[in-house]
Amino acid sequence: MIESLEPVLDNLPFLWAGIETTLVVSALSVACSLVLGFAAGLGRCFGPAWLRLPLVFYIDSMRAIPVLVVIVWTFFAFPILFGLTMTPIVAAVGAISVHVAASIAEIVRAGVESIRQGQSWAGLALGMSHAQLLRKVILPQAVTRMLPSFGSAIIVTIKDSAIASVIAVPDVIRHAESVVAQTYRPFEVYSFAMLVFFAILFPVARVVDRLYLRIGHRGRS
Amino acid sequence: MTLDWSVVWEHRWALAAGAAMTIQLTVLTMLLAVPGGILLAAMRLSPLRLLRWPATAFVEFFRCTPLVLQVYWAFYVLPSEFDVRLSGFATGLLALTLNVSAFNSETFRAGISSIRRGQSDAALAMGMSSFQAFRIVVLPQAVKRVLPVLATTWVALFKDTSLVSVIAVSDLAYTAMQLRSRTFRILEMLTAMALIYWAMGYPQAKITDWIHRRMAGRE
Repeated sequence: MIESLEPVLDNLPFLWAGIETTLVVSALSVACSLVLGFAAGLGRCFGPAWLRLPLVFYIDSMRAIPVLVVIVWTFFAFPILFGLTMTPIVAAVGAISVHVAASIAEIVRAGVESIRQGQSWAGLALGMSHAQLLRKVILPQAVTRMLPSFGSAIIVTIKDSAIASVIAVPDVIRHAESVVAQTYRPFEVYSFAMLVFFAILFPVARVVDRLYLRIGHRGRS
Repeated sequence: MTLDWSVVWEHRWALAAGAAMTIQLTVLTMLLAVPGGILLAAMRLSPLRLLRWPATAFVEFFRCTPLVLQVYWAFYVLPSEFDVRLSGFATGLLALTLNVSAFNSETFRAGISSIRRGQSDAALAMGMSSFQAFRIVVLPQAVKRVLPVLATTWVALFKDTSLVSVIAVSDLAYTAMQLRSRTFRILEMLTAMALIYWAMGYPQAKITDWIHRRMAGRE
């Protein structure tokens, strides 16, 4: 069992650098996937027909392909196809965002579709334009309903960021691997990495649980 | 850029074996994780703290850490610290099973809690033991409600099996990535890998949608 905490304590600055990378990759992926996902979700609900079909195809495809495969493909194959090189962090953020955005798009769609038709009719009858209707009537209610699911998606994104270590993103797992290779103490070092993720994810999960309890039922008709 | 897709066809049997391994891992994990999830859910709903607390800690731990790290941990720590020597396949299966059991237990817990209290009260009033009431009255109804969620978990599990490739289990992802470095046909191999996953996962995602639609109106 734990022989000493030295492998962790001696390499704390190095491991901390990994934690920072994990946080940066997670935060960037969350932000990008929310923007992309909102665009894709609204495009699927309200976009022109020529846009809707490819969006449905994209969303369903991402549900079928593992995020690991998307990350590896983006890092190794994409540069060959388009002749540009990316740093591992850029590739990871791009791949995770494109993958998670598909589930965000589904959450957006479910939220928008959960608003009763009568609301749109009432808005249109009052002389609102479609954009006004979306902005003033549908989205304020729908976004409230989407919040808990967004929380779940954020948890998934943070966990997915751990997979970026396979393309050598210098995150906490990658740095833990290096420390294990030097110290031969997998137990202490990997357990430390576990604790790091737990410390990040547990509070987020509690907030999400509260969201489900407090506003999950809001506006239900 | 010259592409040579024949390399994919050349290694079709290796890729097929990898795909078979992916399916095998998915099926075995789910077969083990459904009873595991029911057991954990029953423990979490038990009035005994001695059962409830360890189950809660287990579930929270596995839900709040990434699967890829759980796989690494099992692979490196079990042999060195606990002298448990498992094959890569068994290690991957173990990590996947514990992880999915935790998620399944939340699914079952929600399903069991959604059955109204009056139902088990009625069963008890008819003279059933509390175990009988659970098995005969509550569980069959709960299973129907959790089926759509289990289907969603199934698709997620199918995708997550790719993570055992980090400990050299020769599933589809590992096989394709090995072939990539052996043949240097990077774009072809990785695209083939993505397409095979897509071809296997797409129908599963569609079937899941169908199950959700069919079960939506029930009860």
